[in-house]
Amino acid sequence: MHSKLQVRVRNIIEETSTIKRFTLEANDHSMLPYFSGGSHITTFLPYPSGTLERQYSIFNISPESGLFEIAVHLADGSTGGSRFWHQNVQVGDVLSVSYPKNYFPLSFQAKRHVFYAAGIGITPFLSMMAELAEKKSSFELHYAAKSKEQCGFYDYISKTYPHQCHFYFSNGDGAKRLLPTQLLNHRIGTHVYFCGPENLIQDFTTAAKSYGYPSFNIHAERFAPPQKKEQQAFQVKIKRSGKQLDIPVNSSLLEVLLQHGINVPFSCRAGGCGTCEVRVVKGQIDHYDSFLTEEEQRSNHMMLSCVSRGKGRLVLDL
Amino acid sequence: MISHFSLPYPFSDSNVYKYSNNAALLHTKNAIELTDRYLDEISLKRELLTKHPERCYHSSPHTMAAQWEIVDLIINNLVTYYPDKFELEKKDGQWIFSNLLTKETASFKFGDRTTLEIEPLDFIGRHVQEDLILMMQRDGDLILDAGQLCFPANWSLYFNSEMNFKEIHSPIPGFQSDFLVDRILQFLMRIEAGTPWERKNWSLMAGSRLDSSLETFSEWGQARKRVTKENAGELVHFRVEVQKLFRLPKSNGILFTIHSHMLSLEKFIQHTPWLEQFYAILRELPKAIYDYKGISLYREQVLDYLEAELKKR
Repeated sequence: MHSKLQVRVRNIIEETSTIKRFTLEANDHSMLPYFSGGSHITTFLPYPSGTLERQYSIFNISPESGLFEIAVHLADGSTGGSRFWHQNVQVGDVLSVSYPKNYFPLSFQAKRHVFYAAGIGITPFLSMMAELAEKKSSFELHYAAKSKEQCGFYDYISKTYPHQCHFYFSNGDGAKRLLPTQLLNHRIGTHVYFCGPENLIQDFTTAAKSYGYPSFNIHAERFAPPQKKEQQAFQVKIKRSGKQLDIPVNSSLLEVLLQHGINVPFSCRAGGCGTCEVRVVKGQIDHYDSFLTEEEQRSNHMMLSCVSRGKGRLVLDL
Repeated sequence: MISHFSLPYPFSDSNVYKYSNNAALLHTKNAIELTDRYLDEISLKRELLTKHPERCYHSSPHTMAAQWEIVDLIINNLVTYYPDKFELEKKDGQWIFSNLLTKETASFKFGDRTTLEIEPLDFIGRHVQEDLILMMQRDGDLILDAGQLCFPANWSLYFNSEMNFKEIHSPIPGFQSDFLVDRILQFLMRIEAGTPWERKNWSLMAGSRLDSSLETFSEWGQARKRVTKENAGELVHFRVEVQKLFRLPKSNGILFTIHSHMLSLEKFIQHTPWLEQFYAILRELPKAIYDYKGISLYREQVLDYLEAELKKR
């Protein structure tokens, strides 16, 4: 359902030995859309086995507007997106990406914004700091890396935000660690934002809550998991009538329900509006919608019948 | 001559109307639509804005960047979809926008408030028939932070300014009690750039005023008492709002454009399937909904009129 943009790789810069920065421009030479601080895009990578979807935070620290930039860290033993970007993508290549989306927006009411990043977790903060600097809002950055050499965008950040940035290098002499106790130094009205490995997010979130930060003031970046694209046939049982229905590979649950006179209200038929939601009593759901929250999807109690499917057999509360 | 063909029809297959998120993907990604009423409605809008700025325009100071984004989006739509009516020339950040229908040309520096006489949203709203509402997404909520509203169907921009989505919609029957309000808010906050949506809303109006604001209810509300079976076809108008929803990617706000269409019942029912369906819907409409829509005083008279017309077919 969602529109895509065609982009061309204009430039590739090695920021560190494991981080590459890709500058993307519109393939038709127009300007790429604007985006708000904390936004990301989905990139659609052509794999022999099908398209691989990967999300990356976007920023634009180049001197020109109308471009997207992403930074990709080559993870050890990666077989997925980061390896593809590092080994297969060349200047001039054309790729599909989504429009910018923002699941990690800046708080409007924050008096001060404090960012905690480790490693490649710096990327959403590049666009957030740019937005705050433009608005002349108050912020600071705490950024941990193994060493100065392994610290992506070290030169750019220390030059652009000399009074707002604090670096923590864990290797070598005079190693300095980034600890959650740093959270004790912020004033009331501060919003804190975490991005990095899962254990950093958890440690800092737990610490912030224990220090008395309202959960409203704590933000962390999490990307939606990549979606599977291969659809399977499945069965449903209607709880009230006991009727059993087969949903073939090429039909949606909504279509089959309507064919059998079960009038589920619907509107967009694309997993976006939430109208055709049905309650699920039993069975495992494969969610393909962009409407339910992750929590709601995980609860396994509801699904959008226009796009989502069952694994095996579902019992519907209808 | 305005016929039923010019009216966007708001009902789906069902003969029972209830509130739902009846949004659908907008395939032609145009926020704006020009009709043959363009010049009349533009001049009415401008007159209202001049005489009653306090009820037709509002903006919070932090919306300026989003307002420019709206100018960018709407001008782009106008020159893309109506290239024979609107022109745009860009020179070193200077924009020269020409409206060939009103024979006006505006020159301004994009992003520089001082180069326009009025705020950007107010400026561009005066070139389109749509009302323009900006909801900013702030701290997990949607707030009505700016709007240019000349043709409200019985609501007040002044009253609703800086309210959140739930507060604005709290008078709608059943909206609070079930999950609908949360579901629709969730839907709106997930609207993505590049994927705009559209929904239609309907009501009846005794009279044919587009500017039926809450502030002027005493001027137009009285007509409800004058509706009879005999005059309903001429006096009562069927009103459709086409609402389009766009994510503004830079400010992360949402632009609602509202195009109000109106047609007298006698023209509306010329198309027999519409007459049949609307009669069925109005007959089954729950009291809470027709009370809310302001139809209670003359619903019986309209039903009598529609029934008599049905018998003639």
